[in-house]
Amino acid sequence: MIKIQKGDFIIDEEINFIKSKNLDVGAVSTFIGYVRNLNNQKKVTSINLEVYKDMAYKSLEDICLKAQAKWDIIDTLIIHRFGKLNIKEKIVLVAIFSIHRKESFHACNFIMNYLKKDAPFWKKEFYNDNYEWLENTRLTD
Amino acid sequence: MIIKYFAWLKDITEVEEESIEDSSIIDIETLKKFLNKKYPKLKEHFDNDNIIRFAINFSYTYENDKIRPKDEIALFPPVSGG
Repeated sequence: MIKIQKGDFIIDEEINFIKSKNLDVGAVSTFIGYVRNLNNQKKVTSINLEVYKDMAYKSLEDICLKAQAKWDIIDTLIIHRFGKLNIKEKIVLVAIFSIHRKESFHACNFIMNYLKKDAPFWKKEFYNDNYEWLENTRLTD
Repeated sequence: MIIKYFAWLKDITEVEEESIEDSSIIDIETLKKFLNKKYPKLKEHFDNDNIIRFAINFSYTYENDKIRPKDEIALFPPVSGG
């Protein structure tokens, strides 16, 4: 399931909803990204996330299908927010549901690498008196 | 065709999207030539290690792909999601 939305979400509710449909789930690996208060030695006040929504849905659905072909996973959930986000707010959730942990770990990392490198989202980071468009340069960020 | 611009590219074009009908545009390279004339400030970014990426109908282009009149083309700088 892919959700691209402005609003916040409750992680437990999102995960429990998918788990309730799949009683064979034995492992869920998650990645949660947050807005942090410091980046490149600059004090961040907020960010604005822009998205090319049609392409984001298509490309994230494609990458989830690739992950499902590569590993034995039961379901995938990606929630990515857009619009203005303040520090401490959640940006993204990737949750991978599987029978055993190994598959979900690998698939979660695979999808996050794609999200960082190719998914069409752009962060505009605001400081006290200016702003900057960010680029993902390191896959470990 | 519809052309969409994202992130700081919009500061150069001053529009988020536009409809362009020009028979000279048949592929990515001819689109670049057209846009270089229309937005001279784009040229340095096109020349800068292909920093600007293109998508046709929501899929990345990796070569000089053909463009059809009803295609939706997107231009954008390096992404920063996640």
